[in-house]
This record gives sequence, C-alpha cells and structure tokens, in this order.
Amino acid sequence: MDTHEHIVRSYEEELSSLNNKIAKMGGLAEQVLGQSIDALEGRDPDLAAETIQQDEVIDELEKEIEEQVIVMIARRQPLAYDLRQIMAALRISTDLERIGDLGKNIAKRALAVVGEQQPKQLMLGLKHMGELALGQLKEVLDAYIERDADRALKVWYTDEDIDAMYNSLFRELLTYMMEDPRNIGLCTHLLFGAKNIERIGDHATNIAETVYFLVHGKAITDQRPKSDNTSSTPVTLRSAV
Amino acid sequence: MRLAIQTEIKEKAETPTEGLEEKVSVRHLNFYYGEYRALADNNVNLYKNKVTAFIGPSGCGKSTLLRILNRIYDLYPNQRADGEVLLDGENILSPKQDLNLLRAKVGMVFQKPTPFPMTIYENIAFGVRLYEQLSKADLDVRVEDSLRRGALWDEVKDKLDANGLSLSGGQQQRLCIARTVAIRPEVILLDEPCSALDPISTAKIEELIDVLKRDYTIAIVTHNMQQAARTSDFTAFMYLGELVEFDNTTQIFTNPRTERTQDYITGRFG
Repeated sequence: MDTHEHIVRSYEEELSSLNNKIAKMGGLAEQVLGQSIDALEGRDPDLAAETIQQDEVIDELEKEIEEQVIVMIARRQPLAYDLRQIMAALRISTDLERIGDLGKNIAKRALAVVGEQQPKQLMLGLKHMGELALGQLKEVLDAYIERDADRALKVWYTDEDIDAMYNSLFRELLTYMMEDPRNIGLCTHLLFGAKNIERIGDHATNIAETVYFLVHGKAITDQRPKSDNTSSTPVTLRSAV
Repeated sequence: MRLAIQTEIKEKAETPTEGLEEKVSVRHLNFYYGEYRALADNNVNLYKNKVTAFIGPSGCGKSTLLRILNRIYDLYPNQRADGEVLLDGENILSPKQDLNLLRAKVGMVFQKPTPFPMTIYENIAFGVRLYEQLSKADLDVRVEDSLRRGALWDEVKDKLDANGLSLSGGQQQRLCIARTVAIRPEVILLDEPCSALDPISTAKIEELIDVLKRDYTIAIVTHNMQQAARTSDFTAFMYLGELVEFDNTTQIFTNPRTERTQDYITGRFG
C-alpha cells in the first residue's frame, strides 16, 4: 500500500489542485515579468497592454486559492505537512499576486516611455536585472514544485546579486538625471521599473523561505544577505562630474 | 500529480520538558495477552498536571497501556506486564503494590458511561465511604465539591436523589468523572471518554479536562485526532504495540519527527 497518498482520494485531489493553481499562477507571473521587460526594452506598447491584462488572471487565481484554502482548513482540519502545504499555497499566492502587480507596473511604465529615446547602456542594465529576477522566480517555483529546500535556499542567497545590480543602476540613473534635466522623466520611470524588479527579487526570496518552511517545518535561521543601499546613497553635484 | 515529499527522518527535536515533574514513568514496558506480546518496550512519561494523549490505529495498544497504569488488567487471567511503571518513583508493577490504594490514586473513566444504579448522591458517596470516614456534613461537602469539579453541580443540585441512570449520556459521563475525583486521585485515566457523546457534551468534557489538569495528571486515549490536538499538552503515537513518537502536542501535529506519525495523523494510513 502506498503510504504517501491520502486514504480519502478527494483530499489528495484538493491538494493537487492547490499545487496546480500555484504552478499556473507562477507561470503567469513569469510571463508578466518577462513580457514587461521586453515591452520596456523594445518600446512595444501592444505587448505592454497585453501584459497589463494578464495580471487580472493572476488576481483571480489568488482569490480562488484563498477561498480553497479557507474551505480546506474548515473541512479537512489539516495537520503537519498538509497544514504546511496549505499555508504555503496561501503565502506563495500572495507573493505571486504582488509580482504580477509589479510586473504590470513595469508594463505601464513601458507605455509611458514609449516615445522617448532610451540610452542603450541603461536599458541593457535593466534588461539584465530583469533576467536575473526572472531566473530567480523560475528557480524558486521549480523548488516549490519539487519540494526542494536546498534549491530554495540558493535562491534566497542569490538575491544579493539583484540588489547589487539595483545599486549600480540607481547610481547610473541619478547620474543621467543630473547630467541633463530632460532625462528626468524617462529616468524616473526606469528607476521605478528597476525598483519593481528589485521588489520582485525580494518576493522570490519570500517564496524561497516558504518552500524551506514547507519542507523542514521551521524557518531559515540565517540572516539574509541584503545589500540594497540606495536608501542611504547620497546625491551631490560632485558625483555628476 | 505525485508530489515529491522529503522523506528524511528529521533530527531529534528537543522536548521542552525542563522543569516538569514526572508523575508516571513507563520504562521498558512489555505486555502479554497469553503468549501474544501486545506492547513492546514502551517508554513514556506522564508529566504532573499535564494532559497526555495516546493516539494510534485500532489495536495499537493504547488502551492496553492505559489499563496497566492502574493495573486493571490484574482482574483478568493470562495477562502480564514486565518492565517498570513508576508512580512518584514507586514501581506499581511490584507484587507488593496495594491495588486498592493504587486505584484510589489512579482513577479511570471509560468510553461507555458507567454510573452505578444508585442516586446521584450515592454514586459519589459510595467510593468515598470505602476510603474515608466522613461525617454526613463533610460527605455532603465532598459530594458537592466533586459534582462541581465534574461540571455537573448546577444541573443536578436539585435532584441528588434522582437515579444516576436518569441523566443524559453527557451528564452520566460527567458523573463518572465526578465520582473519580471524589476519592482524591492524583492521576485520571480517560479511555475514549467522548466517543459515545454528542459534540456539545464532548466540548463540555474537554473544557472540564482543561480545568481538571490544574489539580490532576491526566492521560487520555482518543481516536479523535482533533480532540488530542485540542486537549493535550503531550501526545504519544503508538503503532503495533510500539510507542513510535512522543513529544509536545504542537510538535506532533505541526511537524512530527517520523514519517509514520505524519502518515497517520494526516490520514495516509490507519
């Protein structure tokens, strides 16, 4: 007898359904992020508009998952690993919903800057940062599907790289704005875009923490390496020279 | 879709029993029905003023273990125990143990309510008279105190002369609990006390257990996992006569150490 499946099959099916919804939501979040970066870099308003629409599907899935979790808690009184699975689905759906919103926001900024001349260097930097965040998201969702805490832990540590890129982009954008005030509009949108990507990276680490907890039943005890120092970056005219 | 589940046995968790007094200690306990070994090398503690739940599939030995704690198995031939069961440090399995005194110290309530075919007053007074010489006034006080502790006083104070069997199932069970506490035990054993009761009566008994543990050490055998999770401080999971896992209840029901415990409490076998 397979001791890893529920005796009551419908319970097993409900857990599977929850798992599948997260996987679907994750796939959509990856799509929204990838497309929003492409729309921004490619100055593609149609792609941007399509991406904005997709976020609505993500929002709907979050509602479905929340309802299903509440019903399962009431009806099944889940315990131990089942309880952690159900709570993990709830937490991860919240993070994915936020990622969807942040991706949508990047797409909106793509629409805002569509007519502007975009400095190649800056756009490359933003694209690279976006790809890093997308890679983190894919990796942590795979970790969730595979219930692989080690893979999740790796994502958790790698967020530092996104923070480092953000620090560097932040400085570059400041420099551009200080060089020529006509750049301020564009650079402000790109700055928000970069900030959104950095936040997506943070949400990926939240998901990593949840996966770790799901597998081990306890939280990661290490201090997460955080290196986003933009909140204390000074702005002086000397740095423009 | 088959989910990949980590199957490693987790590290032994620290059991937070520091500062807790062992009221009953079971050490290397084996039990036999004739030649059949029903319990194999059981080791577990009941901590003072705590509720310990015993859970496990049918036939795992949880009721057998409970019945050793007041040596009620002695009433039956061909049943024997070896190992140690220490109550306040004294081994109750010793042939020198006074069984009546033991059963006064360690009371028991069964699945089916068993009130005596007497008045409510006499149900309580009967046991007290076997152990103590009390004046009528003192006995009245003891009866009232016991019925209050059994959360039954308000419902029966005006009909103490009524037959105990005239009460509802839930009330009868509370009468049995009141009868048990009347002779001032130190440990109370509850063998599926709510199996025959409706949800409201069950909730009243659970509330009662919460109050009683301030004064008594309690062991409860239950098939109802949620009841074990609600009412107990410690939980022991048994399977095929072995005590598989023992830990504080929160740990057992949120993150058990063994896969077998996890499979049982989540309904993956049983």
